[in-house]
Amino acid sequence: MSRSIPQSESRNYVPLYLILFPTFLLLAIFCLIPFIWAFVTSFYEYEVGAPAHFVGLSNYSTYLFHDHTLGESLGNMAFLTLFAVVVTVIVPLTIAKLIFSLSSPRASYVYRILFLIPILVPSVAVQLIWKDFIYSGTGLLNQFLNILHLSNLTRGWLSSPHTVLTSIAFIGFPFANGIQILIYYAGLTSISDSVHEAAFLDGATGVRKFLTIDVPLVLSQIKLLVILTLIGGIQSFESLFILTRGGPGFKSTVPGLWMYFNAFSFQKMGYACSIGVLLFLLILVLTVINLKFFRSSEDVTAASI
Amino acid sequence: MKSKRQDIFLHAVLILFAGVTLLPFVLVLNNSLRGNYEIYHHFFALPHNLIEIPRTAYLRLTGQPSSSTISSLLMETTKGYRYAWSIFRPFMLNALITSGASALGVILFGSLSAYVFSRYRFPGHRVLFLVVLSFMMIPGVLTLVPSFLLVKRLHLINSYWALILPYVAGGQILAIFLFKSFFDALPQELFESARLDGANHLQQYWHLVLPLSKQIIAVVAIVNVLGTWNNFLWPQVVNPDTTYAVVSTGLFLMSETQANSDRSVMFAAYVISALPLLILFVYATKPFMQGITSGAFKA
Amino acid sequence: MKHVILLFIVGVSIWALLPPRGGSSEVISSSVATREQGGVKYVIRVDPGPLYLPGLVPENAKAPVQGFRVVADAFEKLYPDTRIEFLGCPEGTREWLVTQLSSAQAPDIIQVNARDAWQDVRKHWYIPLDGYLDEPNPFVAKGEPGSIRWWDQFKYPVHTQSTRAPDGRIYNVSLDMIETGIYYNKTIFARYHLSPPKDWVEFLGIMRMLKAAGIPSPMLVEKRDFTDWGCDIIFDQMYGNMRPLMDLNYDPRRGEDLNGYLDWDEVTLLHRHGFFTPRDDRWRETFRILREWREFMPQDMAGTDFFKGFVTQQGAMLWASSLTLPRLVNDPHLGFEWGMFYLPSIPSSYSRFADGHPMSAVGGAANQYHVTNSSLSDTPAEMPFEQRMEKSERLKRTIAFLQFMCMPKNCNTVVNEITAFIPNIKGVDSRPELAPFDEFLTRHYSMTKWFFTFDLQFDEVLERMFDLYMNDGISLDSFLDWMQDNIDSASATMTRQHHPDFAPLEKTWESHAGMRKNYTDLPAEAR
Repeated sequence: MSRSIPQSESRNYVPLYLILFPTFLLLAIFCLIPFIWAFVTSFYEYEVGAPAHFVGLSNYSTYLFHDHTLGESLGNMAFLTLFAVVVTVIVPLTIAKLIFSLSSPRASYVYRILFLIPILVPSVAVQLIWKDFIYSGTGLLNQFLNILHLSNLTRGWLSSPHTVLTSIAFIGFPFANGIQILIYYAGLTSISDSVHEAAFLDGATGVRKFLTIDVPLVLSQIKLLVILTLIGGIQSFESLFILTRGGPGFKSTVPGLWMYFNAFSFQKMGYACSIGVLLFLLILVLTVINLKFFRSSEDVTAASI
Repeated sequence: MKSKRQDIFLHAVLILFAGVTLLPFVLVLNNSLRGNYEIYHHFFALPHNLIEIPRTAYLRLTGQPSSSTISSLLMETTKGYRYAWSIFRPFMLNALITSGASALGVILFGSLSAYVFSRYRFPGHRVLFLVVLSFMMIPGVLTLVPSFLLVKRLHLINSYWALILPYVAGGQILAIFLFKSFFDALPQELFESARLDGANHLQQYWHLVLPLSKQIIAVVAIVNVLGTWNNFLWPQVVNPDTTYAVVSTGLFLMSETQANSDRSVMFAAYVISALPLLILFVYATKPFMQGITSGAFKA
Repeated sequence: MKHVILLFIVGVSIWALLPPRGGSSEVISSSVATREQGGVKYVIRVDPGPLYLPGLVPENAKAPVQGFRVVADAFEKLYPDTRIEFLGCPEGTREWLVTQLSSAQAPDIIQVNARDAWQDVRKHWYIPLDGYLDEPNPFVAKGEPGSIRWWDQFKYPVHTQSTRAPDGRIYNVSLDMIETGIYYNKTIFARYHLSPPKDWVEFLGIMRMLKAAGIPSPMLVEKRDFTDWGCDIIFDQMYGNMRPLMDLNYDPRRGEDLNGYLDWDEVTLLHRHGFFTPRDDRWRETFRILREWREFMPQDMAGTDFFKGFVTQQGAMLWASSLTLPRLVNDPHLGFEWGMFYLPSIPSSYSRFADGHPMSAVGGAANQYHVTNSSLSDTPAEMPFEQRMEKSERLKRTIAFLQFMCMPKNCNTVVNEITAFIPNIKGVDSRPELAPFDEFLTRHYSMTKWFFTFDLQFDEVLERMFDLYMNDGISLDSFLDWMQDNIDSASATMTRQHHPDFAPLEKTWESHAGMRKNYTDLPAEAR
């Protein structure tokens, strides 16, 4: 934010606040009030439809110190989220670079559209396809292994405790998300030719050029996608619910899923809210770290000039 | 010479990626035309009844006997679609209204607020912007019950507002972020000249900013509609009355009884529910791609 | 190009918008139209469950189901001020149930699993029906079953009783029963000269042989069913000969047939005395047998639909409920003959705890119609619950509809329209295809239902850990440790919620001391 932006012309801020008013009114009513409700409830033992009892911090302490699922589910969440983050950084960027390197603009346009088409399929449908037709006992993956005479490797990919988490992480393979590709593509096109030429004169080619020139210059895109993936990874549990309900055992349970079960199946709304509040804090901390400690491309550009 | 070889290599890799990526999409499409038995036995085959149509047509034309008529084959093939449609039809309009209105609201409030955040410095502008962004970090399940109780308290149950207002409230957060990044990148001189012409805040927004923002509007609209169109739980909870049910509700109810009906119905339902998105997509692809490539997506 | 696509889409949409020919379905919208008509005082919304929803076309079936609509039309003729609306609901989705019931906006009658309802009866979300069940059903002619007590209409009182909530009251009625059995592939059996097994040893032998012959998974059963039914039937085989010793509370309302059924308070007390712990050898044996059986099931137990495995002959036996029957009967492509048998008993030669008594039945009420708090909407919410129940005219009309449904003619219209359930009303026969299930249903009921005993958290942990154990994720010892914790914490929760008096149970336990001497294999604390 180095550019100078004018002060409000008349120093009369009232119209500005008025314009912001609807946004904040909606946020206050439909986002803040429910959140405060949930925050307050996290200090109560509460079952929807029954009276609540104040229990102080006991929901938090029970979850942090006495819940059998905590360690395992945090581990699962960390694995799935980190995996998603790594994949989000690598695959779409690579594809964007490949598309960017095409000499024909027409072909590059066609590819960008092709990769966008799958966003029309609801994620539920994708998960059901993976569950029923790819990972199932008679699914494609096992049939493929049989063809390769690797029958001893076949298994129920989502039912075996040893493979369930990795299998879930690989859903959506090859992770070529059309929107993410476009975002990186945008970053690449904004890199000026002079930078490339300078790199060429330095003798940087191929992969080295990609790593030393392109990647640092799309850092701000990477940062945004990493933050969004982190938030999504920590919050989301719907796909796990559809795929395995978090089983077998707790092998694919994440805190968000456990919060869901506690809130609606086990009737422990207060307990569920305490898990939710902790997740909110976790996301907050991670986002701040991400914003503070990773320099954006503007900084890099500024430093390089 | 080198670039040609390189292109062939690039095409090979990209086609491979695109093929695997599109596979689920193709499977949904193919299976929507096939009965359970076909899916069970020949997962990779084309729809049997559909393939029979040209053969039957040929037999008919040449006057040879055929076991089935073209129309019966057509009916059999489209069974899933006809059934899914009979369930969806009453809900299609509701879904268009709620998703459309939410997208409009998100665009309006999101762009207005983003415009203020981007163009002006006023007391608290930074803090307020961070407050908006921090709402993105609240897990959705956490607020499901309180949001429901709230909507109930506001007497919005069984109305379009029960969907639209929360969708706008939640959807505008990311929209504000995207609009602001986009507006930040607009050339400063434009506003200078407009200001000298005596345009006030809203005039500048309306005459200057909006016409320049078609692409980012397309992005926000598509991202928002993608989110609201497939959301099934919230409509189910706040609008139990079928008068206000949306397409995803029908989809959800269908999946509940999935084991007892043809798979083709489920897959056809996915295709039908995606049709309005497809139309939107056909018309907005270009501005959408320009919008994303405009550089609004960065942190 | 874009416009061509758009035109195409518009064209297809117009074609699709044309009314479907051939009397196709108008699923959920059918009832909405009737609402507009004047003079209607009560609109009663009914969720008849996914299989009876008027307009729904079941797999491989030609016509949509209409039974409920037909009966409702007759009811509306009797009561012109009442309209019955049918709608599909995601009853299995807890967040839907919780939000709708807590705000009294669920349908007046919903089909929900009793286990789900039990969680919420304390909050007055459901109407207890005992009072009505003890009174006559007004629609029944004098002298017919039900003319003295509504209760007498039910053909299978034992199973109907088993949905009684932990508070001792009953909150639902069922028009139909569901039972399980083994569907077997007669063609495969004939090929290997096999016939339905007479005992568990033979049963294992058949599976071993089929597996060796190249049938990949001779035994098919869905994961959840295996946990639910499997635990119950093997438990019954292991503990059956200790019934008198373990039954600490004879509940006269259950009648002779369910004598010996273990309620959660009995399970809790037995657990305190060492039963169902890692020290309990019978408990250990129960899960060892289940694990041994699992070897003949598909590698992937997480699959959603083992029916597919059966019709494609990947497996030779399918343990499933009568719900599967219409799918088999209607399948036009089925390339084999099939038959049915029930699970054979475990002989003492196989397990020292078994005595060879027949396997118990595990089925029960299929569609469980609960009357919700929405039916009280014509009374002020501040009024005490009991008073609301007395005052509400809407409730009376809702109950009347349920009673009307229980008339044999109406039950027949609804239940026998689809060949999936066994009618639970006296005077209504099952469809001939369901004959084997009629026999299975006459078997004794299992000693307890583990999946129904405690709360949903207990079920969730049981299901997950059982799954993990069955897939070699943990050892039998760790599984039993988990179960110990699970029973402990579920007992604590239930005790806190229901404040039971354990003293009488403890007293009966003392009085059984002599009986316990006859058993040498009890856990140490119990002796």
